[in-house]
Amino acid sequence: MSQIKNAENGQEKLLIDVGSTYFKLSTNNSIEQHFRDFNKSIIDDLTHKCGQSIERFDKKDIHICSSANGGLSTLIIGVTHSFSLKYATNIAFNSGINIIDTVLFQNIETYSVPSDLIDVVIITGGINSNADNFSDDLFRYLEKLNYSNIVYVGSESDAPIIKDNINDVVVLPNIIDDRLHIVEDDLKEYLTNLYQQDIEGKEDIKDLYDITDNQIFSTPYVVNKALPFIGSKYSVVNPFVLLDIGGATTDIHYSKDLVDENIVTENEYDRLVFKKLGVYKSKQSLIFVAKNNEFVYELLMHLKVTENIFEEQSEKATKILMQLAIFLVLCKISHYKKAYVNLKLLSVNSFVLTGGITKVLTVEEIEDIISFFYKKIMNSDHNPATVLDSNYDIWTLGAKGKAACQ
Amino acid sequence: MKVVTGVVGNDIHVVANRLIDLSLQARGFEVFNLGVNTYLEEFFDAVIETGAEVLLISSLNGEAEGWGREVQLLKAKYKKLDDVIMMIGGNLVVGTGNADDIIPRYKGYGFDIVCHQVDLNTGLDSLEVMIKERQLAVGKN
Repeated sequence: MSQIKNAENGQEKLLIDVGSTYFKLSTNNSIEQHFRDFNKSIIDDLTHKCGQSIERFDKKDIHICSSANGGLSTLIIGVTHSFSLKYATNIAFNSGINIIDTVLFQNIETYSVPSDLIDVVIITGGINSNADNFSDDLFRYLEKLNYSNIVYVGSESDAPIIKDNINDVVVLPNIIDDRLHIVEDDLKEYLTNLYQQDIEGKEDIKDLYDITDNQIFSTPYVVNKALPFIGSKYSVVNPFVLLDIGGATTDIHYSKDLVDENIVTENEYDRLVFKKLGVYKSKQSLIFVAKNNEFVYELLMHLKVTENIFEEQSEKATKILMQLAIFLVLCKISHYKKAYVNLKLLSVNSFVLTGGITKVLTVEEIEDIISFFYKKIMNSDHNPATVLDSNYDIWTLGAKGKAACQ
Repeated sequence: MKVVTGVVGNDIHVVANRLIDLSLQARGFEVFNLGVNTYLEEFFDAVIETGAEVLLISSLNGEAEGWGREVQLLKAKYKKLDDVIMMIGGNLVVGTGNADDIIPRYKGYGFDIVCHQVDLNTGLDSLEVMIKERQLAVGKN
């Protein structure tokens, strides 16, 4: 394996991405991908498979990103779907959070209290001049909830009562300004730092600091940073959607032009995640979602297989599962399903696919599914270009950018 | 007093929307303008987030007819909208129509003030009259 010369300072760099299913190593001229051995710790697995490569680099020249800690689980309590809940969800996704549940405050007594420990609870609602957005119902609900961190980013007028009634609450500036616009920075910084602490706290990830002196970033954060520069690697025409169908979750990054949104930010690209939609760790839930989709049997027929394929363990079954994953993700972001956001899919010019899927499916197989989706769900012959990031260039681009900044 | 305003549905009549915004401000209202192409749920949600006392929906291409029918159903899902003054104005039907038919129909949809093809200032005068009436009623109680 050859080593890269960093353009910024002439030093050699090794970039590593630790995912839930695979890890990847990138140098200037080559990239290696290894299926993880779940019987070993990440560091043992990594050093066993790639020890020689790692040893050749100083700790300061190794840069790692990871999504293998599973991300933070988040519960957002807000007063409306269109503003407080939507804004907080947008900020959380863009901060690398994967698991988000929401509670509409006015109906809080109808929500069941999650039994699992929640990493962070976010409370938000109201512009600063609007008071009394919450009542004792909130405090009663929180008493039953098991959480590690809690942050308030709602109306300033309600901050004193929130502080008085919730122990250890962190109060940050409101995420809604007086024109009903989103204010991202403070909550984003708070969540990014929490994510960082979570990575550092997880034994498996913490061990990785044995081989690097640099901060370990979340993979989606790194990918999102690369998107404005994607044109330097591929002929991608804006607006585009990037699908990263992983082993546990599916990450989607999309041009902001694809949403008619009341969220006005400086980000060119937003991110959203479908938890439990992956082809390895989340395989069973993917199959469950598939079986509940009315078009899936037609799709299986189109692919000339039956539902028995779900029981098979073969290369063919993996291919079908990945094709299904593409179809289901497209359904979830289209107007066919009411979601947190729906993208204007008839305006998409390119679909970019990255992650393990690029090693299994060909461009033709992916185009076949996209075309099926457009015909069946969108009633359209629209035919966006498909770009396969088979060499993980997007991640490398983002990781190099991050490494250059450190 | 806070007012949430905007143009409902797939309607891009931005000039009228801007005029309403300016006229409301000139009368001393604090205006939250959601602009054109606004869904009903966004209007109601904006009222909740801002604590507005008035919701003024405008429509010029007849879209209001379809959306208007949804008002009661959607409003019933909210717990803090009962005291909000609901006003709608503009051209409220596709083509032409008789105000005597249109106004009761929209009041039936849940609007307190209905202005079909009425001059903007006349419409806002009627809003101010209703605000005063409500304030008096609250004072008496």
